[in-house]
Amino acid sequence: MRGVTRREMFGLAAAAGAGIVAGSPGTSAGANPPAAPREPVAMLYDTTRCTGCKACMPACAEANGLEPDTAMSGGIWQMPLDLNAQTKNVIKLWQSDDGSEWSFVKRQCMHCLDPACVSGCPFGALEKSPLDGVVGWEPSLCIGCRYCEVACPFDIPKFEWNKFNPKIVKCQFCDHRLADGLQPACTAACPVEAVIFGSRDALLADAHARIDAAPGKYFAERVYGEHDAGGTQVLYLSHVPFEDIGLPTLSTVSNPEYARKWPRRMYKWLWGPLAIYGLVAGVVQRRWQKHEREAHRLERETGLREQL
Amino acid sequence: MINYWQRGVPVWQVRYLTVSFAGLSVVAVVGLALAALRMVSPLGPFSGMSDMYAWGVWKTFNVMTLTAFGSAGFSVGIATWVLGHQRLHAVMRTAILVSLLFYGTGLLALGVDVGRVWNFYNILFPWRWNTDSAMFEVALCMPLYAFLFLAFENVPYVLERIWATGGPVARRRIRAVEPFLRRIYPFMIAGAYVLPAMHQSSLGALLSLAGAKVHPLWQTPWLPVLYLIQAVVCGFAATIFALMTACLYWKRPIDVSILSELADLLSKTIFLWLGLRLADVAWRHELGAAVALDSYSVIFLAENVGLLVPALVFRSRRLRETPRVLYNMTTLAGLASLLYRFAPTTLAFRPGGPHDVYFPSVPELLIMCGWIALAIVGFSLAVKTFAILPAPIEAWDRLIAVARADHPEWRLDVHGNPTDD
Repeated sequence: MRGVTRREMFGLAAAAGAGIVAGSPGTSAGANPPAAPREPVAMLYDTTRCTGCKACMPACAEANGLEPDTAMSGGIWQMPLDLNAQTKNVIKLWQSDDGSEWSFVKRQCMHCLDPACVSGCPFGALEKSPLDGVVGWEPSLCIGCRYCEVACPFDIPKFEWNKFNPKIVKCQFCDHRLADGLQPACTAACPVEAVIFGSRDALLADAHARIDAAPGKYFAERVYGEHDAGGTQVLYLSHVPFEDIGLPTLSTVSNPEYARKWPRRMYKWLWGPLAIYGLVAGVVQRRWQKHEREAHRLERETGLREQL
Repeated sequence: MINYWQRGVPVWQVRYLTVSFAGLSVVAVVGLALAALRMVSPLGPFSGMSDMYAWGVWKTFNVMTLTAFGSAGFSVGIATWVLGHQRLHAVMRTAILVSLLFYGTGLLALGVDVGRVWNFYNILFPWRWNTDSAMFEVALCMPLYAFLFLAFENVPYVLERIWATGGPVARRRIRAVEPFLRRIYPFMIAGAYVLPAMHQSSLGALLSLAGAKVHPLWQTPWLPVLYLIQAVVCGFAATIFALMTACLYWKRPIDVSILSELADLLSKTIFLWLGLRLADVAWRHELGAAVALDSYSVIFLAENVGLLVPALVFRSRRLRETPRVLYNMTTLAGLASLLYRFAPTTLAFRPGGPHDVYFPSVPELLIMCGWIALAIVGFSLAVKTFAILPAPIEAWDRLIAVARADHPEWRLDVHGNPTDD
């Protein structure tokens, strides 16, 4: 009886030690995919409206206290080539090989409904607000493992490679401005409403109305981000193929949903590891007793002590 | 055939300081010094990593690849304590030492790699755990395994040495803790087989989240299972390789029969892995990509042929009992395994555009090599100090005879046991 109790005790101790308590209710391990935010905010960007004036870029830098990236211009003006550790928002130009087709594109965090960065972040430094769905970063929880960069299908999070206290830099939807009842700096700065701010439902309706109003104008007659990667809170309308402006072709099932499926089943209440532990411990315990008897016999016969 | 290897015997009557030992120590010290410098500096100047290739060789090689070889204790342990291959007890100490060294240096590499290591204390607060994250699973499970379970497995030979050569107080204390260690031993080693199964599969699961960035020949829902079985393959290969290399280097006799048993297990595990790997690729209709002969296909073929050939060769008892064949084929299997564990993290990892490339910088490589050199130096020191490498019983008798003559104050009997204990 004591042996059984002890075994159970070790099982529990190992469980507490291993501590992979996936499946505990009320924490991050909920539905797969997780419930949508209650009042998701959104941005809608339309390539046919953007004039490439880049007013949104300094507005973003100013609102977020980012030092302008002036490396390419020899220190004269802000001129990032792409998103980087100083740039959370960028306007890029795409041209076809023969130059006949072109488009501007605005890039920033897509604020996915089921973000890979949040799913992979070991201590929840990246978190999606259950209210407005903004994906934010909390410095005190981040160990700098950069799994978010590996996981993000849009290659959005950037790491401050040249700082001793490096931060993860990415658009946080100007959540400090949202808290003050303002809209994000980029949408506020845009002079032609190429990028607009609103609730996700309203902007999706708006986007579909634009598609319906002008058949043939938009690529594939669809809104990028409505279902792509499981849905995003930044939506795109484009007159050129999405791939061309850097928006990858992704499944409507998010990577996290696919990645979570089996681990969640195996680790639910730790039943998988505990079952294997029980099985292994049972077998090992029997072999161990036999091994001990054999070791004692050999020690009596030869005088040699067993070497574990 | 008699069981030639019977007992762990230290590598004795050799000098600690040799030319190769000094050379490796220099590599280790350079690596450690650079790593220390990195801890007080940003990551950028020390590595070739970028936002696209955010993981460099410290993670992808020292951790994700080399801890597979650190699964030696896992593989041999399961074969011995679970599957009942009794004779492999003779090589257990070598296997767990290899494990401790690869895991220990891998975790050190991880500590240098993460950018905000001071926030790791968050692991103490369960309500901050993201239990969906494979990275969290690795971050919790791997240190727990290395510093608790694996360290525990490595305790007996240390105590044995102190017991044989220490003073009366030390001997009494060891006598006092021994019954406790024996009581928890089977439960601890059972834990030492569950935890690697968890984190070695999680290392594969890490890549699930990267989706299409990992080439379809490697990206599969079976990645965790393939990574786990591959860890077992690597564990057997690392054990054979470490034993044979050590025996060749220090001119100790080898036991072809035990090595052949390991090779047999290695071969069977490879067949299991290859079957699963090929079935998965076929099931996902990627066989075309496998034989396309582009760079990815070449890596894929190199992995699989590099594993298939040793697995086939080892089906012949005569061949696997031929030391040269055994050594060369194990090395080939080890290299192919290494390629499989490394490829999806780097060679077959394709973020962003075709212009994004990653090649480790010089300090990054020096630190990487430093960890490996540190492990080899540690191995050399350990096998010269403790009774780890297996040897015939006569070697033990000779060791004790010399120890009794040189150190009468230890008061050892002819079997090496303290007479006053």
